[in-house]
Amino acid sequence: MAETNPKAPAAPARVPHQARTAKSKVEVRGVTKLFQRKSDTLEVLRGIDLSVESGEFLCLLGPSGCGKSTLLSIIGGFEQPTSGSVAIDGVEVQRPDPRRIFVFQEYGIFPWASVWDNVGLGLRERPKEEQAHIIRRYVDLVGLTGFEKAYPAEISGGMKQRVALARALAVSPDIIFMDEPLGALDSLTRLQMRGELLRIWQQEQPTILFVTHDVDEALQLGERIVVMSPRPGRIAEIVPVDLDHPRDLGTAAYGRLKNRLYELLGVGHAV
Amino acid sequence: MNFLPYLVVVGALIAIAAASRLRDPLPKYLLPLLVAVIFVCLWQVAADAARYELKDADGQFVRWVEVFPTPRSTVLGMVQPVKDGTLLRYAISSVYRVAAGFGLAAVIGIPLGLWAGWYTRGFEALNPLIQALRPISPIAWIPLAVLWFGVKDAAAIFLIALASFFPIVTGSMTAVRTIPMVYVRSAQNFGLKGFELFRRVVFPACLPQIITSLRMALGIAWMVIVAAEMIAVDSGLGYLIMDARNANYYDRVVGAMISIGLIGVALDLMMRRLERFDEVRWGFSKV
Ligand SMILES: Nc1ncnc2c1ncn2[C@@H]1O[C@H](COP(=O)(O)OP(=O)(O)OP(=O)(O)O)[C@@H](O)[C@H]1O
Ligand SMILES: [Mg+2]
Repeated sequence: MAETNPKAPAAPARVPHQARTAKSKVEVRGVTKLFQRKSDTLEVLRGIDLSVESGEFLCLLGPSGCGKSTLLSIIGGFEQPTSGSVAIDGVEVQRPDPRRIFVFQEYGIFPWASVWDNVGLGLRERPKEEQAHIIRRYVDLVGLTGFEKAYPAEISGGMKQRVALARALAVSPDIIFMDEPLGALDSLTRLQMRGELLRIWQQEQPTILFVTHDVDEALQLGERIVVMSPRPGRIAEIVPVDLDHPRDLGTAAYGRLKNRLYELLGVGHAV
Repeated sequence: MNFLPYLVVVGALIAIAAASRLRDPLPKYLLPLLVAVIFVCLWQVAADAARYELKDADGQFVRWVEVFPTPRSTVLGMVQPVKDGTLLRYAISSVYRVAAGFGLAAVIGIPLGLWAGWYTRGFEALNPLIQALRPISPIAWIPLAVLWFGVKDAAAIFLIALASFFPIVTGSMTAVRTIPMVYVRSAQNFGLKGFELFRRVVFPACLPQIITSLRMALGIAWMVIVAAEMIAVDSGLGYLIMDARNANYYDRVVGAMISIGLIGVALDLMMRRLERFDEVRWGFSKV
């Protein structure tokens, strides 16, 4: 997967979640996480069990401070669970891996490097020509053609997030972790970026774990939504979203799901 | 009494007031130039006020005696050192010493600071010593420098190196310790390790702060060179000041002071040019 040829024929049409043969990509088993603090211990995650299928778009939704980022960091190998384990493709996760790329809310692209060099970060060991080919392809995919030579300080927030996305996609990762990647964008750009993210997901078929605390965002993107309870974070419920893309925000089914999510988050039918 | 300086000051003030009301962008050097003109005029007024009349035994006026030089006598006093090349020679030897000492400090200080910033243990071990040595004025080191190196270039270079070392090492260390986590995590995520991690992420992330610390260090070095040369060597602008003072040529003292100021500005402008490179511009301004 990591060696996907950029010239390969277009990806086959996407198989909906329900019809895919269940082969779990990520297995989270009994993960708990405690943070030692000066005087006490903070229990952030308690008994998390979760399976993520290959190619799935999974959203993690929960109130602020419930441990979404912590869970994602553990799955990504940036932090170790206090107990329990995470396995990807059956192998226990120990450390970050270039096959699984994290996209941060603060982008994490390098301000000292041009858009071109940022997107090429994970391609250092490829021959120059191949690098150029892949960079061009993903810069184009995220709609940044013409900005290759620009530096991050010269482009907008939405464009920076596109650079981060292109940089992640360029290494053909099999999993992309996104921790509120659209959180810093204005609402119009957010909507637009959601659409682009879906398009790219359908085209490239990575597994995506997407953290958000925005109910609409989760409903527009996720095939399943993992709703977490307040700290100590547990999985309150996993809500499947059986709606076709593009999702119509006005339908009754959508409204029912939305109410259900608000209920689970403990805010009932509040506005 | 000479009214000319007062008239010029009033004129310059009116010009400044008028210029600051304009909405159009001003030529960059207009206001600083006007301020300099005012400064020189006030200097003239003060020097005139302080001078006194020299009289002979019969109480007859002989000439004015300046307590300190006026702008005019400063310029006149500098004619000879400029003509015979001493000013240039001394300026060059001062700049050479600063370059050598500053370069030495950068070559040792940047790697040491980066290393100590990256490894927590290194920081814990080294930082207290650095912070204890830092407040000791380079001037306090002059006796030891002369003892070790004699009245030679080496003593002055040592003092400069010492003076610039601390801002450089502290700046580099802080730079590494404040690299945003997100850059390091991204780098690790993409499999960067060891020297590549350093070259592609740690160093470029620190570069703006390193440049700022270099700029500070060069300013300090240039300040210290004069003190060092007053005692530790027999050439340079600091030496010129001491030498002129001993010969009672106060016009040259002030002339040398002005030369030091102007060269200092030039050195700082050179350092500021470094801030404009694409790789570091992000650290100095938003665009
Ligand atoms: N390194 C750490 N040391 C101590 N406490 C931590 C650490 N990292 C996170 N925490 C605590 O763990 C809790 C969960 O943090 P986390 O960042 O995972 O929440 P989150 O669900 O992502 O919240 P948000 O939506 O605000 O991003 C918080 O109370 C936080 O203070
Ligand atoms: Mg978070």
